[in-house]
Amino acid sequence: MASTASTKRLSLSAWLKTITFYEILVGMKATLSHLLNYRPVTLQYPHEKRTLPDNYRGMLALLRYDDGTEKCVGCDLCEAACPSRVIRVVSAEVPGEPTKRYSKEYYMDMTRCLFCGMCVDACPVDALGMTREFEWAVYDKRQLHLNKQQLLAIGDRSFPVQEKRLELQHPNVAFFNVAFKHVPPKPD
Amino acid sequence: MTEFGLRLAISLTQIAAVMGIVVITVLLLTLAERKVLGWMQDRMGPMEVGPYGILQPFADAIKLFFKEDIIPAGANKFLFTMAPILCLVPAFIGFAVIPWGPNQTFEVGGVTVRPFIISDINIGILYILAFASLGAYGIILGGWASNSKYSLLGGLRSAAQIISYELNVGLSIVGVLILGGSLSLVSITDAQAGGFWHWYLFALPAPQIFAFVIYVISAVAETNRVPFDLPEAESELVAGFFTEYSGLRFAFFFLAEYANMVLVSCVAAALFLGGWNAPYPGTIMGFIGLPSLAWVENTMWFAVKTYSLLFLFFWLRATLPRLRYDQLMRFGWKVLLPIALGNIVVTAIAVFIYQQMK
Repeated sequence: MASTASTKRLSLSAWLKTITFYEILVGMKATLSHLLNYRPVTLQYPHEKRTLPDNYRGMLALLRYDDGTEKCVGCDLCEAACPSRVIRVVSAEVPGEPTKRYSKEYYMDMTRCLFCGMCVDACPVDALGMTREFEWAVYDKRQLHLNKQQLLAIGDRSFPVQEKRLELQHPNVAFFNVAFKHVPPKPD
Repeated sequence: MTEFGLRLAISLTQIAAVMGIVVITVLLLTLAERKVLGWMQDRMGPMEVGPYGILQPFADAIKLFFKEDIIPAGANKFLFTMAPILCLVPAFIGFAVIPWGPNQTFEVGGVTVRPFIISDINIGILYILAFASLGAYGIILGGWASNSKYSLLGGLRSAAQIISYELNVGLSIVGVLILGGSLSLVSITDAQAGGFWHWYLFALPAPQIFAFVIYVISAVAETNRVPFDLPEAESELVAGFFTEYSGLRFAFFFLAEYANMVLVSCVAAALFLGGWNAPYPGTIMGFIGLPSLAWVENTMWFAVKTYSLLFLFFWLRATLPRLRYDQLMRFGWKVLLPIALGNIVVTAIAVFIYQQMK
C-alpha cells in the first residue's frame, strides 16, 4: 500500500488513491455487487442433479438381446483394447454348439477404469455399453470388482430397450433393429 | 444484607443476559459469516442443516462438544488447558462496560437499576484495552504449550501482531478521549447524543475519521481476522496457534475470536458512531409520544451499528488476501502509528482552540 512511498515518488492521483484505499474499495465493490446480484453457481448435488450430456460415458455394462440371451461372444477384443487392463474375459465354447463361443467368466476391475470407451468401440457385437450411472462411490473398493452377473444386471437396468438377435436384424438399417415397444404410440 | 443480595441478583441477571446475547450473536455470526462469504463468492454457504442451513451453528456446536479432546504428546498440560480459558475470559469480560442502551434507571426494592449498563467504571475503555491485551497471553501460551512448530510460529506471530496493533487501537482512541473528556464509555456515549453530526466520527472541533479508519484496521488485525490472519494462516501454518486443539478447547478459541469481533465492534460503535444514540436528534418513539419505549429504538440503533461493523469484517474477509508479515509490521508501525499520533496532536490543538474561542 503506502510502502511504495519510500522507494519512489508518487503522483498526486496515486497518492490520493493510496490514502483513500481506492483499490481496496474497488475490490469491496466487486464483492458487494456479487452479494447484491446473488446468482449462485452451486448445484445442490444429492438433491438436484446435473443433466448429463447425450454421449456421457458412465458405468460399463454387458448387454442382452431382446430374448434375454447374452450378446457377448467371448472374443477378448475388449480385453485387448482396454488401455488400463480393466477387463478379464474367460472364453469358452457354447456346450453342444462347437461353432459358437461365449464368455464363461467376465470380470471388470472398475477401480482402474478410466471410462475411455475403447472396449465399447472394439466390441464387434455391441455387447458392451456405457450407462449413464456415475454414483458408484463405495466403502470397500473390492465392491468395484464386478463379475459377469453384476455387469449384466447393470445392463438390464440401464438399457431397457434391447436389440433383436443378429440373425433377425435388418441387414442395412440399425435403426429398425429395436422393437420400439418403449415408444408411446402417436396420438393421431 | 438484603440490599447486597438484591444488587448481586440484579447484576448476575444482567451478566447472564449479556452473556446470552453475546453467545447467541456468536452463533449467529458463525452462520452469517459463512452465508455472507458464500453469497459474495457466488456460492450458497451451508444449506443442509435445517431450512437454508440456519441450524448449522447448532450442528457445529454439538459436533464440537462431542469431539475427542486430544492433548498432544509432549504438551504442557496445564498451560494447554489454561490457554483457551485465558483467551475466552478476556474476550467476554470486556462486555461489562459496554453501554447497550440509554442511561435510564428504575427502582427495584430501593435499589437503583441501570438495565443497559452492567457497570459504569470511570476507566471503562482502559479496562477493555487491558483485558484485550491479556487475550494475547492465551494465544501465545496455547501456541507454546502445544509442542508443535506451527502452533509456536502462530503464537509468536500473534503476539507480535497483537502488540503492534494494540498500540494503534489505543492511540486512535485517544482522540475520542480528548473530545469526550472521559474514559467511561457511558459518558462518552452520552456526549454524542443529538444527531449523527455529534458522533465523534463527524463531531466538529476535530472529526475522528482517520482515527476511525485506524481503529477499524487495527481491530481487524487485533482479532486476527482475514487480511491480517497471519497467526492462523492456513496455507502456511495449518491453523496457527490452535493447530493442536480439538473439541471443546478449539471451540473456546473459536468463541473467543468471534466474541472479540463483537467486542471491538461494540467499542467502535460506542466510541465513534454514537453508541445507542440515533443518527437524528431524539427518538422517533419520543416524537410519537411513547418515550418509555425509546430504549427499544436506542438498543436497535446500537445493534445496527455493531452488526454493520461485523458485516464489514466479513466483507473484508471476502475481498482481501492476506498480508505478508513484513507488510503487516511496516503498515502498523510506519503508516498507522504516525497517522494516529498526528491525529492526537491535531485533535488536541483543535479542541484547545475550540475551548479558547468559546
